[in-house]
Amino acid sequence: MTKWGMVIDLEKCTGCQACTTACAMENSRLPGESWQDVLFYHEGTYPNVKLSWLPRPCMQCENPSCVAVCPTKATYKTEDGVVLVDWDKCIGCKYCMIACPYGVRFYMDEKPVVQPDLREVFPGDGDRIWNPPYKMPDHLEDRKKGIGIQPKGVVSKCTFCYHKISKAPKGVADLDEDDPQTREYVPACVRVCPPKARYFGDLDNPNSRVNQLIADKRGVRLKEETGNKPQVYYLAGGGAPVIPGERSRGRG
Amino acid sequence: MATATTLRAAFKPSPYLIGSAVLFVLAFVYAIYLEVTLGHVAFNTTNYGVFWGFPIVAYDYFLLTSTGLALVASLPLAVGIRSWDPVAKRCVWLAIAALVGGVAILFLELPHPLRALWATPINLQTASPLFWKILCVGAYTIVLALLAYAFGAGRGPAEVPRILAVVLGLLALAITLIAGSVYGMLVFRPFWFGSELPVVFLIESFMGGIAFFIFFTYAVHGFVADNLSENTRRLLAGPLGIAAATAVFLHLLFVLTRTVTGLWSYGEGMEVWRYTIAQPLYWLALIGGGLVPLVVFALPSLRAQPWLQMIGAFLVALGLLASRYEFMINGQLVPPFKGSWAPPLLEYAPSQLEWVLLFVGIFLANTIYAALESWSSTRER
Amino acid sequence: MSGEHLASTTRRRFLQAAGAGSALAIAGPNAGPEGVAPGEARAQAAAATKIVKNICHQCPARCGIDVYVTNGRVHAIYGTPDHPISNGKLCPKGPLGIYVLYDPDRWKGPMRRTNPKKGRNEDPKFVPISWDEALKVVADRLNNLRDRGESHRFAILYGRGWGASCAGLLGTFGKLYGSPNVPIGHSSMCSDGSIVAKQATDGNAGYNAHDYRHTNYILMFGCGFLDAFRPYNYNMQVWGYIRGDKSPKTRVTAVDVHVNTTLAAADRALLIKPGTDGALALAIAHVILTEGLWERSFVGDFVDGVNRFKTGQTVDPTTFEEKWVKGLVEWWNIELKDRTPAWAAKVTTLRERDILATAREFGSTRPAMAIMERGAHAHSNGIYNAMAIHTLNALVGSLFAEGGLMYQMPPPYGALPANADDYLDEYAKNGPWKQYPRIDLKGHPDGYLLARNMMQDVGPNHLAGRPYKLDTILFYCTNPIWTAPNGQVWEQALQDVFVIDTSPFPSETSHFADLILPDHTYLERLQDAPTYPFEGYPLTQLRVPAVKPLYDTKYFGDTIIEIGKRIKGPMGEYYKKLESAENVIRHLAKGFEKNPGDNGVDSFEKWVEKGVWYKKPYLWRQIRGEFYEWDGKGYNRRMTPEEVKAKLLKTPSGKFEIRSGLLEANADWIAAKTGRNKANLMFPIWEEPKHPGGGDLYLVTPKQALHAEGRGHNIPMVIAHFQPIVGGRGEAFAEIHPETARQRGIKDRDWIKIRSSVGEIRVRCRYYEGVRPDTIVLPMEWGHWRAGRWSMAVPGGHSGECTVNQSDRITGQCNYYTTKVTVERA
Repeated sequence: MTKWGMVIDLEKCTGCQACTTACAMENSRLPGESWQDVLFYHEGTYPNVKLSWLPRPCMQCENPSCVAVCPTKATYKTEDGVVLVDWDKCIGCKYCMIACPYGVRFYMDEKPVVQPDLREVFPGDGDRIWNPPYKMPDHLEDRKKGIGIQPKGVVSKCTFCYHKISKAPKGVADLDEDDPQTREYVPACVRVCPPKARYFGDLDNPNSRVNQLIADKRGVRLKEETGNKPQVYYLAGGGAPVIPGERSRGRG
Repeated sequence: MATATTLRAAFKPSPYLIGSAVLFVLAFVYAIYLEVTLGHVAFNTTNYGVFWGFPIVAYDYFLLTSTGLALVASLPLAVGIRSWDPVAKRCVWLAIAALVGGVAILFLELPHPLRALWATPINLQTASPLFWKILCVGAYTIVLALLAYAFGAGRGPAEVPRILAVVLGLLALAITLIAGSVYGMLVFRPFWFGSELPVVFLIESFMGGIAFFIFFTYAVHGFVADNLSENTRRLLAGPLGIAAATAVFLHLLFVLTRTVTGLWSYGEGMEVWRYTIAQPLYWLALIGGGLVPLVVFALPSLRAQPWLQMIGAFLVALGLLASRYEFMINGQLVPPFKGSWAPPLLEYAPSQLEWVLLFVGIFLANTIYAALESWSSTRER
Repeated sequence: MSGEHLASTTRRRFLQAAGAGSALAIAGPNAGPEGVAPGEARAQAAAATKIVKNICHQCPARCGIDVYVTNGRVHAIYGTPDHPISNGKLCPKGPLGIYVLYDPDRWKGPMRRTNPKKGRNEDPKFVPISWDEALKVVADRLNNLRDRGESHRFAILYGRGWGASCAGLLGTFGKLYGSPNVPIGHSSMCSDGSIVAKQATDGNAGYNAHDYRHTNYILMFGCGFLDAFRPYNYNMQVWGYIRGDKSPKTRVTAVDVHVNTTLAAADRALLIKPGTDGALALAIAHVILTEGLWERSFVGDFVDGVNRFKTGQTVDPTTFEEKWVKGLVEWWNIELKDRTPAWAAKVTTLRERDILATAREFGSTRPAMAIMERGAHAHSNGIYNAMAIHTLNALVGSLFAEGGLMYQMPPPYGALPANADDYLDEYAKNGPWKQYPRIDLKGHPDGYLLARNMMQDVGPNHLAGRPYKLDTILFYCTNPIWTAPNGQVWEQALQDVFVIDTSPFPSETSHFADLILPDHTYLERLQDAPTYPFEGYPLTQLRVPAVKPLYDTKYFGDTIIEIGKRIKGPMGEYYKKLESAENVIRHLAKGFEKNPGDNGVDSFEKWVEKGVWYKKPYLWRQIRGEFYEWDGKGYNRRMTPEEVKAKLLKTPSGKFEIRSGLLEANADWIAAKTGRNKANLMFPIWEEPKHPGGGDLYLVTPKQALHAEGRGHNIPMVIAHFQPIVGGRGEAFAEIHPETARQRGIKDRDWIKIRSSVGEIRVRCRYYEGVRPDTIVLPMEWGHWRAGRWSMAVPGGHSGECTVNQSDRITGQCNYYTTKVTVERA
């Protein structure tokens, strides 16, 4: 069975946020609804200042705590290893947001990050939260999978571009944007990434590039102590902590 | 069984009921007005990290006070201690009132409350504490309703089937413990994480229940101690007061040990303890809502004073709300991944609507309680 | 343009989506996106998604983009896979292009001003007008000026010119109409400091093309390689390769005034005092010479092979035999012998050990390249900083070498439908306009004799009536009333001149406009665009409309042609011959018939289909001190020095001139205007920069990755992700060193006042340890007082209002990063 996973090479990543904007446009997300975000950290004192960054999509955990806590099974794990939200079942209780160690779930029925409020400029039809003129084609939207424009009052999250990857040829080891056969099935953040810091493939396939990279370059996962077992791996050159710690911000 | 007509004829609304109902309607209308005109934007929760705001604090406060009251009621009922009968009955009324008030707040906060009613039971997500909590609250509501029906049908506590009391007690216990697990299970949120959390919730639940009972016993008697029966007065100055002191003491114990351990911890996220103890609210809750009532209820001479009981109970009830607020909000103030987008500590203060929802809950609960007391006394007459 | 034909050509590229839920079906490994999906059954259920070729408009780089259109809705943009610059990739700006199309704040059609008063707070009271009326208004004004012999008083100012069918038409327009001010480019407000320095040293007045993929060392001076340097998208692709996959890994040292993503990702970050990059370059050159690290095959050597470059000691020029450089020993004697790392450490505030280590690494790694942009040369001494840095490339022999720098070749375009020289009337040939200098005094002894443009002075000069007053200004892709330093002067200047703006968006310029002739946004245009300097080989690309124009707008190229048609005399006839921008582009494409591109593009239709024409390789290469030309199989044909001079090192000497022939020829003028010493002003020398403004902190106003030449300021997603390093989400912060802030009683996130001799602004600050304590960094992006709704809603002032209008007298480069300001709590 396919188990989709992603590898992000932090030694290649340039912190440009193309993943963030490509995701937002591909998936019609609101500003602040950063299914894919890049977090920046600085530590140290002038002139020796370490500036670092961490791209953060949904980890699509093997043991997703968000799935476990959802009282209505609105959020669920697909057979091919992706965590999705059924917007027809979501009650908006946000327990999944509380229970997600990675902060990658979003509830957008809130104050806008950017004014004027896009939801007022492009008001949604029916119960949808907004309706941008550039939203994804209607036939790709799927409320049962949390793809497209969400209705009001539900939680949304990264789908690994499920509307793309779920159409990939069966049994393929990697979805590589450089391969014309698979290009259209590659998640937006992976496809756009200029330094090719992202790889996407089947973690259950021993021959996949993602498995090779995890092995060769000592892939690590975030917050292993939670037991969530992310399906997103980071290459950090080996040994380096991926998330800068307390030192990065100063106490309080 | 009374027909609606006779009931209406005999029912005399007290000024307390009328006042509560009027205030509830005002608060409710205003809340609806804010929700309709502003939408969910009227809540001060954000995607940066404070996902559960003041309404959830208030909801849990009312719900867990309700279960505390139910526990207080169920023990004597189940065991059959007749001298506690008036206590049991009032506790049931109060449990219903608090439950309704709390659930009302939740329903006004939840975007899809009705969906929760059908989607939860049919999807059987047994891995979720919230699934069990919702399920238990549903059963709990039914049992409370049955009890109310039994009381309302003129049967005294002595005539109520014991099994009902046992089930009520078990459900209240379950809800309280599960509510603690909702927070205690979250291993990556060190401020909340801990297996002691369900026990803490249970003690606080008890504490809230007793405080509510004491306060509202006086409230329903116009805050005049002489209006209380001798039995009730004896219970208040005796076992109930001692129980209150014990609960407050244990509550304080947990607060203080959690604080000290938290301050000693180097764990990421525990820095919020330094923020917490820098807040006046913390000390007000600790001293005003903890130490002072502890002294009041622990010392027999003070405990015997009705006015001190009233004040002590009121302070405990208020302090518990403050404690719950600190626990739930501060537990969310450290953004999970920090980074430059978010400040080291998030800021949160309840919005206007969030305050109004608290008062919707308070006035609704009072209205229900007043109505039940009126109805009950009417029936008895 | 003839819409029907375009529709038919784009239809050919329709893609059938496979299955109701699928994005696109892929025909096979060898089929481009224009291939039709296999599987009839699947295609039947398809919603038709088509991919239309275009190029991004949000920076100069010109990345080919695939625009995804389904049922008339543009919903995604990805890089074009078989495009040499984008290679299927995009920078963060690229995907947001959709919003540019659907931006609700766009102009909906041509507009005419009805309120004669102009000012920040004057409502222009625009009323809609038809295109015919609008064009007639312009033509009447122009004809009238010409009749009065005042055609020089018409100016066209342009920013990002794209190709032969837009800005490329303007030079001809000026010649036929008769105005020295048609057009005036923005290059002096961009990076002319770099261009003129290269012209002065290697004779090529252009930005460099680079062979990054094969270099082993990059020394970056103030160019934000991973922040905003073009082509940003390709830079990052290269970065992933040279830092992730290439063996050996390319080493990088980056020089700037604050820690940005470039410095963070580099091996070494040098936080240099603003305006002193030249001193660092001189010290590096000093070490390269004293330690004998120079590339002897290119530079030459001592006759006897014994290195006589010893610190503080002069060298007998006759002992050294120069090869492809001119003036090395003179430079050593007159300047370099005392420019030690210790000296540079004092000037730059860097550590001596870092300077030495950088010099040794750079000097001992081949191929190595030194690149720079505005951070290094947007100062009064910019010409010398830039010359010193570029000379490093000569010292390590990276000019025209593999893994080095070269210059961009133009595409082999076909001839236009008519030759403009055949349509010159007597007025155009000998009219009174011929006696007038340009309004910006570019090329004039009283102004900037050696500059290429001086747009920043158009406003001030017009205001002062020096050398005269303009009558009408037409703006294309530029908004200098906001982007020019001290734009407040432009607010005065534009009050008594007829202003025509052609931007699709409201801006400060359009707020002062009398007429608005809105352009299409780029996804609606048919427009050509030869590459910005890239890898040297010729490459040109095409914008193809993805959808019909949403509003009553007109492509700028057509606007110019339509105005031209309405000018009396032969000029009008010329533009009737051009017919339309599409016709122009079709003629350009005829040049491909004899020169089919590597991707098979040999016609207009194929160009529309592929979006790009290119032909590898770059034709010349310097290998170990000898120059070779491509003979069809390899770099096999050795070039004579004459050929090198004609094609590559286009200086008077045909060598890389450390002793600049260009500066030497103008030494009298330079000495007179700057007080410099005629004995050494032609060499890369150290000169203290002049910092106007009167304050104590340097104000540096860099671009961010999402800045997009300012074209993204109204995009909500840009606002939401603008300044990640210090958390500028929803606003732009001034980066301030915590100690600098504390000394002034400023707390993190406080509002501060930034003041210089020309203005004062309020912005919020963020503490940042990564910024120099003597510098305040404020991205130039917001503080718009007239623009789209989102842009206007972003809090904080505009850096330009504190930036003094000072320019490098030689290059004309506007000194954006040199003003000194005072900062206090607001």
